[in-house]
Amino acid sequence: MRKAILILISFATLSLLNACFFTDSEIYRVDPVADDPPIVSVLSNLDTLINPRVNDSLLVSYEVAVENGEFYLMEAMVSEGIVHSSDTAYGSFWVYPSQSDVTDLDTLFMEFYHSSNTNTLADRTGWEARITMRKYAIDFSEEVKK
Amino acid sequence: MKNTFRSLALAAFLTLLSQASFAQRMGFSASFGMTSQSMDDLKYIQQYILGTYPVEGAITSSFPPFTNVSVNLVKEWYDHIHIGGGYSFSATGGKSSYSDYTGNISTEISATSHRLGAFLSYSIIYGDRLNLAIYGRVDANLSTVAIETFVNIVGQTNNIINQYRSISPSATAGLELMYKFSGFSLGLDAGYMVDFAGDLRNKDSNDYLTDPSDSSRNLTSNWTGWHVGIKTQIWLNF
Repeated sequence: MRKAILILISFATLSLLNACFFTDSEIYRVDPVADDPPIVSVLSNLDTLINPRVNDSLLVSYEVAVENGEFYLMEAMVSEGIVHSSDTAYGSFWVYPSQSDVTDLDTLFMEFYHSSNTNTLADRTGWEARITMRKYAIDFSEEVKK
Repeated sequence: MKNTFRSLALAAFLTLLSQASFAQRMGFSASFGMTSQSMDDLKYIQQYILGTYPVEGAITSSFPPFTNVSVNLVKEWYDHIHIGGGYSFSATGGKSSYSDYTGNISTEISATSHRLGAFLSYSIIYGDRLNLAIYGRVDANLSTVAIETFVNIVGQTNNIINQYRSISPSATAGLELMYKFSGFSLGLDAGYMVDFAGDLRNKDSNDYLTDPSDSSRNLTSNWTGWHVGIKTQIWLNF
């Protein structure tokens, strides 16, 4: 009888071993409710120019304002190459002829990364961004001197 | 504290072997059940950590009553008096978490208590079959606490684990109701343990775990609470 009890206790001990260590597999899942997206306004000196010519160089200035949100980063690209990046909401940079693969009209892309207001974990920690893009046609052809 | 622990163990061992003890029988007992615990400071730190989340998470468990196990050597000193000593183990924990489609964040706090101590029980009712006894017990209590935070945001992961431990004395008063079979007893055990909570220290740096809002206050693990369980006692024929 005692042997049977000992076997029973040993079996119970082994089977209850898992219960000796606290675990909680429950996860608090949330479906975040997004706020209205931020209102973004971008101003650039290129806004009023039509196909500005680069010649030796072209100065590009910009200013971005993000209402109800946070500005993260600005990147400017020509021919898929980054020509400038900055985390300030206003500034300026130069575009040079060597930065384009073409010798006529090319496009300058300016991407402004800012908060998405989706209220997700990634949004709250700055790992999720919404992009506002501006593009300008720029003339990389050489000026014909008369 | 180490000396106290050694003295307790030595006293229990010597008592068991004492020539003066008019031993009739010797055996061992084992109990398995649940224990509640105060854990005020760990509940506080759990709440504090949740407050540092960049999003609104929730506590899914906060140190609920959990496993309590005890194994002991028992000696029948007199008909009505048993003495003995042994090892007890308790565990509990807490978890807070948050999850959405961009990632998740969770903090798990797991606490375990390893106790080594001695007890004395006195039978109030000592019948042929039924035995109701009160007992008192003192233990040296080694607590270990692990706080682990896991963060996953758009596939970027980070994991931080901090481990703490404390040593404290504890005292228990309880009741046990046992039904005697041939050579063994089976019954219920219930009691209340007072843990003289020890300060938690980091396992690696040995720094105290302090209140983030008041660095002069050390946080403790406090196992004070009720326990209830089933118990078996087997007598060996020496």
